[in-house]
Amino acid sequence: MSAPVIETRQFIAGYERDLPIVNGIDFTLAKGEFVAIFGPNGAGKSTFVKALAGVVPVFGGEAFLNGEPIGGLKPHAILKRGMAFVPQTENIFTTLSIHENLQLAAAPLVRSAQGPAIRRMLDMFPDLARQSGRLAGSLSGGQRQMLAVARALLLEPSVLVLDEPSAGLSPKLVSDVFSTLREISATGVTILLVEQNVRAALRIVERGVVLVDGRLRFDASAEALSSHPDLGALFLGADHASEGAA
Amino acid sequence: MSPEFLAYGAFFLTMALTYAIICLGLNVQWGQTGLFNVGIAAFVAIGAYASAILTTPDAAGRIGGFGLPIAVGWVGGAALSALLAFLVGWLTIRLRADYLAITTFGVSVSVQLVALNLVGLTGGPFGITFIPRPFGDLAGNALAFGLANLALVAAVVLVTYLILERLVRSPWGRVLRAIREDEIAAQALGKSPKWLRIQAFTLGGAIMGLAGAIQAHFIGFIAPENYLPMITFQVWAMLIVGGSGNNRGAILGAILVWALWALSGQLIEATFPAGSQARAASLRLVLIGVALCAILLVRPQGILREVRTLSRHALGRKQPEVSS
Amino acid sequence: MNPQVVIDGLIAGSMIGLGAIGLTLVYSILRFPNFAHGEMIAWGAYFAMSLSALIGAVIGGAGAPIAPFSFGWGLVLATIIAMGLTALLALAVDAVLFRIFRKRQSVMIIIVMASFGASMALRSLLEFIYTSRPGYFTRELQIAMPLGGGMRATPDQLFALGLTALLVVFVHLLLTRTPTGRAMRAVSENPSLSGLFGVDVDKVIRTVWILGAALACAAGVMSGLLVQIRPYMGFDLLLPLFAAAILGGIGSVPGAIVGGLIVGLGEALAVQFVGAQWRAGVAFAILVAILLVRPTGLFGRQA
Repeated sequence: MSAPVIETRQFIAGYERDLPIVNGIDFTLAKGEFVAIFGPNGAGKSTFVKALAGVVPVFGGEAFLNGEPIGGLKPHAILKRGMAFVPQTENIFTTLSIHENLQLAAAPLVRSAQGPAIRRMLDMFPDLARQSGRLAGSLSGGQRQMLAVARALLLEPSVLVLDEPSAGLSPKLVSDVFSTLREISATGVTILLVEQNVRAALRIVERGVVLVDGRLRFDASAEALSSHPDLGALFLGADHASEGAA
Repeated sequence: MSPEFLAYGAFFLTMALTYAIICLGLNVQWGQTGLFNVGIAAFVAIGAYASAILTTPDAAGRIGGFGLPIAVGWVGGAALSALLAFLVGWLTIRLRADYLAITTFGVSVSVQLVALNLVGLTGGPFGITFIPRPFGDLAGNALAFGLANLALVAAVVLVTYLILERLVRSPWGRVLRAIREDEIAAQALGKSPKWLRIQAFTLGGAIMGLAGAIQAHFIGFIAPENYLPMITFQVWAMLIVGGSGNNRGAILGAILVWALWALSGQLIEATFPAGSQARAASLRLVLIGVALCAILLVRPQGILREVRTLSRHALGRKQPEVSS
Repeated sequence: MNPQVVIDGLIAGSMIGLGAIGLTLVYSILRFPNFAHGEMIAWGAYFAMSLSALIGAVIGGAGAPIAPFSFGWGLVLATIIAMGLTALLALAVDAVLFRIFRKRQSVMIIIVMASFGASMALRSLLEFIYTSRPGYFTRELQIAMPLGGGMRATPDQLFALGLTALLVVFVHLLLTRTPTGRAMRAVSENPSLSGLFGVDVDKVIRTVWILGAALACAAGVMSGLLVQIRPYMGFDLLLPLFAAAILGGIGSVPGAIVGGLIVGLGEALAVQFVGAQWRAGVAFAILVAILLVRPTGLFGRQA
């Protein structure tokens, strides 16, 4: 069997060295998997994926992408090795046009491959294609999320990592985004997703892991998690209550 | 020790203490509030010129000659400098921290320009002479004159120090520090960070103006060349060496840096022939610039750590999210 | 009004504008007002002066004027090399100073202070090496030619205007039409997202320093050619540069050049109507006015 797409061992990361937020995570993501990370606020979900992507300093442990160590690399180097990360907010350049956002994302490709890659994304997201000359800042919340995903997929990464893609979107848009993600997953792309929207996410992912206090607490199939009796207790307060709405 | 030596010592220390006052003013702006002033020279100059114009006797071809008492000059100098600081603060503090830096730099260029060219008010390049000196009737006895002035300036430093220490511990000082640490929390308490910062900047300006006035009266004459951007560098070096945020450090840093400055000046005079002294002097400026950078680089624990907590908010930097 | 004001203003303005482009790029991409930028102008001029003297000494005839200009091809060559040297200087200052603060994620104002210290050191170093005696590229005297409408300009002045226009168009196209420019605009909006898009942020920063320093050198050579070369020439331009960058809107290249021209014209008007000694106050007046009326500048986006 080939190496897992993502593998971390005793992974430690955060903003201050003496106050790590991610505190020793062992995690594996196999090729083709669709996995969600859940957990209460402050559990370290976002920090974990940001550290994987190179945006947050790594203080200890190891991280591998397709068997290659990536701990401490710069974001652009990690992207080059096959991990595309979509942050929760500010995930597109609002002062650049939609087309320019895609051109920027295509820049690491050889020149002849850039045009076709951009065209492939515009075909996939016709909504964006229709207004590709407009400034990305003029897009609606859902369209921005689509552009962010399109830009991330453009380089055909071996894994797509998203930080709360449903945050701030209306229920209708959340289900649009999720069904898009499911389609992408169906084409064989490995996806790792941080989500607060537990119930909706469990309907599309194959596996879920739960972080609490910077550590991995649960790791089970979506089915097992959905029917787990103590699960609710892990997603504290407001988060739990909001699930009904989603 | 000979009286001449003591008199020189008194002169040296008095000068150093006038810088200590400027430094205390800067500490209110930077150490307590995190405001970056690149135009210290201008605020010192305004204080000096205002006081000189108020107190000098009538002079041909120059407005002024009010002949008022020295104390009135000091207050007037501080007040005018405070007014300038208030205007600059009001203009820029509502905008961005970096605009304050650029604008104070512009103020220092402009004040220099006014001092040079508004001959009818400032005496132009020759400046103002015959500024009344405190204890002027003792001038015959260098030692007594020197010691009396030293005592006076030391008293001003002490009073300024005590007032500032009180202010730091007052509710006003606490709120100032609170907004330095966390602007949003302070706003939630109903405190307007903008006004508090403007107040602090104005107070610092007043202290610098007072120092300028005291200096002018102590030396007895002023000219535009006394207020070049160099002063700004020196005072920054003093505050950073002493440790920003700390009033005692500000005083100590002023004395230390002034001593180094005076000493290196004498060294240059003694070792270089007259022809190359200007060159050697510019090398001294290279060193002060390098020293300023070096202190900022190699002492992150003292100064930078303190400053760092100040400003993710205060300076519009985003606090890294720790959302989940 | 004497129409000559227009020519004088345009010439002063193009030097300010060229300097302001570098300043505004550093300001928007590295996110701090670089008080040492003026020093790049002065160092650029001195590099070119020394090199042109060297070239003239080695190759006879390099200094012979190319009619109708006052300078020879030696100065052209010297300027091109000097641009490279100035860029190296900027990269060196970044490596020993600014980069360290970036890595530490120091607050902006600490970096501003460091740039203030660096400006002092760099300027005084020039004074130490070359003394404060003014220098000149050429001793040739030029006759101003009539341009019509009561305006006159020397061939050198017209050359400077043309070169400025060329450089501005070049930088504008670079920024709006090329992948490098796109990456620069991206880093200017959001450096951390740029990395996630695959942009090598360090490389973009190096590009900004090189570009800014090369333009500063060009401004310095022009200023040296048309006026004189002094250690304080860059420092004296600093306030006009800031006024131009803020007036144009930080990050805007067309804004910087338009801002520069406005400041230059303002200075020329002040010289004619108020008196040459007040020239240096114009930039401050413009700065205060723009902060009062429209702090985002003419072409700036909302901060």
